[in-house]
Amino acid sequence: MKKTIGIFFVLILIGSGLAAQDPGDNLSPQRKQAIDSLALEKVRDLSKYISIIGDKKTQWSEAQRVIERAVELFMPNSEIGVSSLSRPDVSYFQVREYFDRLMQLNYDKVTIDWYKIQYVSDLERQPDGTYVGVITIFQRFQGFDAEKGLVYEDTTKKDITVYVKRKETQIGGRLIGFWDVLLGDIRVKETSK
Amino acid sequence: MITRKIITTALVLMPFFVFSQGSIGSFTGDESNLYAQTKQVNQFFRRFNGEEDVTGKRFYQGDAGYRDIKMRKKYLGILFDNNGPVNNDVRDAFVLEVTSKSAPRYLDFHGDKWFAEVNAVFTYKKERQNVILYLRLEHENLGYKWVISNVYFPPWEQFFPHVTDTVNQTYFLHPMSHELDFMNIHKAFDNPQNVDYYLEKNYRPDMLTLFIEGVKTGDLKFQSVSNVKFHFFQVPHWYFEVSYFNRNSMNSGWLISNMVRITDAEQKEIIRNYTHDE
Repeated sequence: MKKTIGIFFVLILIGSGLAAQDPGDNLSPQRKQAIDSLALEKVRDLSKYISIIGDKKTQWSEAQRVIERAVELFMPNSEIGVSSLSRPDVSYFQVREYFDRLMQLNYDKVTIDWYKIQYVSDLERQPDGTYVGVITIFQRFQGFDAEKGLVYEDTTKKDITVYVKRKETQIGGRLIGFWDVLLGDIRVKETSK
Repeated sequence: MITRKIITTALVLMPFFVFSQGSIGSFTGDESNLYAQTKQVNQFFRRFNGEEDVTGKRFYQGDAGYRDIKMRKKYLGILFDNNGPVNNDVRDAFVLEVTSKSAPRYLDFHGDKWFAEVNAVFTYKKERQNVILYLRLEHENLGYKWVISNVYFPPWEQFFPHVTDTVNQTYFLHPMSHELDFMNIHKAFDNPQNVDYYLEKNYRPDMLTLFIEGVKTGDLKFQSVSNVKFHFFQVPHWYFEVSYFNRNSMNSGWLISNMVRITDAEQKEIIRNYTHDE
């Protein structure tokens, strides 16, 4: 609840002053930084949800609830394209399917760590005016077997599409503009060991 | 020589070991290679132009350090594949030119003269085949989009073996054929293998049309993208290629994999081939 209020507050802050701004204008560096923060917040939520979904200690019902939350972060029809060092061809999954597979991985224990590094691209406009960017993060995955111990390990680079759209909402009779952020397709690439 | 390159990279990226630019995770392992890696094409542009600091924070016009020549020289040094074919003389000459005080050269994301080459896998008549797609950015309405500007598919080369041929003395329609209502035109079609002898000499096959036909009829079905690289012609008299190097090293990510000095005429010809621009 606290977080929802926080995000809404950020939306308002980012939205303030927009009435005077032509939506066709380029984003100022300050506004870009504010939008980056909002986008990173979504990516942080996603990374947290992935860790919970992948965790073998997470109850099935809890994992389902978290999958619902995770799916809400995405634009409809977003896909996750996965390749590995041994399978360079990209395999495509719908977001929900990807999370379902993550939940069902056949290990006794799974550890998912996120590297501290992140890289945020510029925001570019697509023909309909929506801004698009890409945030790159890195994940280490370890799968354990009860008897054999660590049986699988990889580090993946995740390039996450971020859509930023200007929207408006009425609060107390006033029309407030804000920037809404949704995640899009994700390219998951195994990095060289 | 390799030792020199490694030391240079380490010196340029030394601050990576000190600062942390991220906050997503809590992994405590060594991340120096990931910081050094040119992680996005966007970062390649920024490093090339000197538009971000060593932690990846964007510089904007007016910021101290924006397009700083010293910083650019250091960055440009680490944007080459150290195991690639570009020798030091070529590299040094290029860096000197693009960082010239009087006429520095920058890359422009929205500028023309750069293209993506996408190696994709399709099934063609149910057989797995590699198809090369060329894409470029195009402005439309409020923004930009990538569009397919050309395609290369080796099996279609067989359809045009005689295009550009000028020595053939057998397969042509004589110059008075019009007086006979071109009744002899069937000769062009009697042997399908030779039909391309009857085309005008400036004709160049348009594989993109064949490609669209193949996709629409279902002969060509997309499977996967296997590799992407970029071709840049934005620096006058230079061509360079940028590819992704997936390796556990400081010299990784999007790097210059080839570079050649070219004339204006060569540049025009190469661009025409990629885009079909006249």
